[in-house]
Amino acid sequence: MNVSRREFTKIGCRIIIGAAAGSAVIESIVAKGTASQDPPGDYDWNAHYWGYVIDTRKCIGCGRCAKACKLENNVPFDEPVYRTWVERYRVLKGEDVKIDSPNGSIDGFDDDIPAEEVKKAFYVPKICNHCDTPPCVQVCPVGATYETKDGVVLVDYDYCIGCRYCIQGCPYGARYFNTERKTADKCTWCYHRITRGLLPACVQACPVGARVFGDLKDPESAVNKILDKERINVLKPDLGTKPKVYYVGLDREVK
Amino acid sequence: MMESLIWGYIYPNEAEIQWSILIVLYPYITGLVAGAFIASSLYHVFGKKEIKPVARFALLTALSFLLVATMPLLTHLGHPERGIEIMFTPHVTSAMSGFGYIYSFYLIVVGLEIWLSFREDIVKKALNSRGWKEVLYSALALFSYDISEKALHEDEKLAKRLAIIGIPSAAFLHGYVGFIFGGIKANPWWSTPLMPIIFLMSAIVSGIALLILLYIASMKIRKHAIDHKCLHSLAHYLWIFLILDFTLEILEIISMKYESLERIDIINRLLSDKIATTFYGVQIGLGIFIPFILILLVGIIKNRETLKMIMIAISSIFVVIGVFAMRWNVVIGGQEISKSLSGTNTYVPVFFNLEGVLPAIIILLIPFIILSVLTYILPPWKDMEPEE
Amino acid sequence: MQPHLKRVFMLLVIAIIGFVFVRSLIVPDSFGEYGWYRANSVNDIRNFPVKHAGSASCGDESCHAAIYSIWKDSGHKTVNCETCHGASGEHANNIRILPTPANDSRDFCGLCHFKRVARPENFPQIDPEIHGENLQCTYCHNPHKPWFV
Repeated sequence: MNVSRREFTKIGCRIIIGAAAGSAVIESIVAKGTASQDPPGDYDWNAHYWGYVIDTRKCIGCGRCAKACKLENNVPFDEPVYRTWVERYRVLKGEDVKIDSPNGSIDGFDDDIPAEEVKKAFYVPKICNHCDTPPCVQVCPVGATYETKDGVVLVDYDYCIGCRYCIQGCPYGARYFNTERKTADKCTWCYHRITRGLLPACVQACPVGARVFGDLKDPESAVNKILDKERINVLKPDLGTKPKVYYVGLDREVK
Repeated sequence: MMESLIWGYIYPNEAEIQWSILIVLYPYITGLVAGAFIASSLYHVFGKKEIKPVARFALLTALSFLLVATMPLLTHLGHPERGIEIMFTPHVTSAMSGFGYIYSFYLIVVGLEIWLSFREDIVKKALNSRGWKEVLYSALALFSYDISEKALHEDEKLAKRLAIIGIPSAAFLHGYVGFIFGGIKANPWWSTPLMPIIFLMSAIVSGIALLILLYIASMKIRKHAIDHKCLHSLAHYLWIFLILDFTLEILEIISMKYESLERIDIINRLLSDKIATTFYGVQIGLGIFIPFILILLVGIIKNRETLKMIMIAISSIFVVIGVFAMRWNVVIGGQEISKSLSGTNTYVPVFFNLEGVLPAIIILLIPFIILSVLTYILPPWKDMEPEE
Repeated sequence: MQPHLKRVFMLLVIAIIGFVFVRSLIVPDSFGEYGWYRANSVNDIRNFPVKHAGSASCGDESCHAAIYSIWKDSGHKTVNCETCHGASGEHANNIRILPTPANDSRDFCGLCHFKRVARPENFPQIDPEIHGENLQCTYCHNPHKPWFV
């Protein structure tokens, strides 16, 4: 019973510490003076407003996007947490719909249902929608998650209290709990990359151009070229979240 | 192992259930607080003389549970040391951000209410005791010993005003807990405007039931006769609020089923499979239906006070369990369905874990320890044990 | 007002003043600069290191210019170098830090090219059971300039 006893003490300590919330607590938060470093390059966030287009008709389900994302953003590979993932939809001949996303598509997909039984099938990449009216930002009780001027929803890892209300509030399952930082975490559209003029890791990794990223303020941008031409949709439009991830070729089964 | 707990498709990030049994405890505890306070205001505000024996005891009960209400939350936070941010930078659009202020305000109201209603006793003890007791009670009296007719009258006036403020703030404290869930549009099982009022009704029900149980238990421990008039009056209010509670809870289900929106398939699956036992069995059957019948019988049966007391006690136990099941069905049930609307997950509580059953039990026991300390310092017994 | 009530309200006022004072000490200075959040957190996130340098960085400065120019005109030009060769952000800054070796297993090529029912039909796919006798794909195909044998 060694382990349980240790756990027991830990639990007791945690409760006492939590309830007391004493001076040590205040001291630990007082690290407010640390001014953050100036970021590299000049970037004017008022000049941009980012958007993202996913063409589901092109996706081949290789899962390189999900792999690159985890590498780029230090998302643990051994935990079921994903900033982006690919879903597979298979409408069977008996009208049943089978949806799955084994390990978020990082290891690819095996055909575990014979092709003869499948009526139609397709892949759908998913990612944080960086909503214009983000429900996750709305519900954060302390202001630890926010929408930047250029339209990206971020988490302040040094301010988040880890209540996980935002995870409950996201209709798309795009948020997860970072067990290392003990805070909420999510896709940043690779904010550290896009503000340096690079593409998000998932967009860069996509070999078929199913993922397109660009500036909605620039009429010539890659996203606007698609948005101006194609018939597009967003996920769960009825919830009024106003997503900025636009889908081409979205099926009614996709939620 | 993991696979068997999952049915259909859930979003990959939903594999982990985020809000554990501790978050079930939080609305349960605040509910008990709000209920106990409202029971005491039946006397303090509405002048229901039958309730007088337990009026001050109810206040102490409310305070005991109020003091632990933050514990399940802080234990659950990823960064408990940052929890105070909710008071320093409350984000007003969040239903949760009000917690710090509403809680503090309510704590002040309950604290003052107790202080005013016990002040005469405190001052008398301060004047009549020596040693550490003198120090303690003098400090509690704030070194001001005026218990003249006029001073006590002032106290009473203020106490009544506070109790009047207290009712809406108790309702607000708990109604807002309901809104934390009811305002989440992402979750088809939570998102309903009825949620705050359902939470409030079940809170009152659970608070009155708890008060009945504590009253019976403390009288048994102190070997004193029970005031049956008071007990029946409490049971009477319990019965009325049970009806309101049931009406609202069933209305929610009926309108969901009648409207049959996109979410209905997954809601049906939740009700018929995932939480069928805890919902129909414990929450409705055990927690509402049986107590309803039993208390109805108490109203009909003549004499036989002991039997009636046992029936009321059993009803109260069932109500307290039923309301816990209600919190469980909301908090856990809502997380067991996927927001993809095409799958379910299963919450498996662990025992020895920071988020496990053991800390939940510990947290649920602490208020009773606090209550026994409080009743030692501020004995409410002379209300409950009249000189015969 | 009664003196004891005055005292209790005085205590309350002291508590509130104390709270306001502690709050002013603790809330970060940059909080609220742009909105209801800590403005410095934006810079914190912008400063995260870049792990994937991108294909363009491989062709630059004549490091891998030869293979880069072949790849640039090939059918695989949409496949980022780092998809097979591993993230090269550190390698681009310091050539002594080598990226993980390229994955040239059959299964890795199969992530894109094995026949799958959900894949767009016009995308080049092979049936791994009957194609290539279980040989390594690179035995016949040059990954930097794929062609049909």
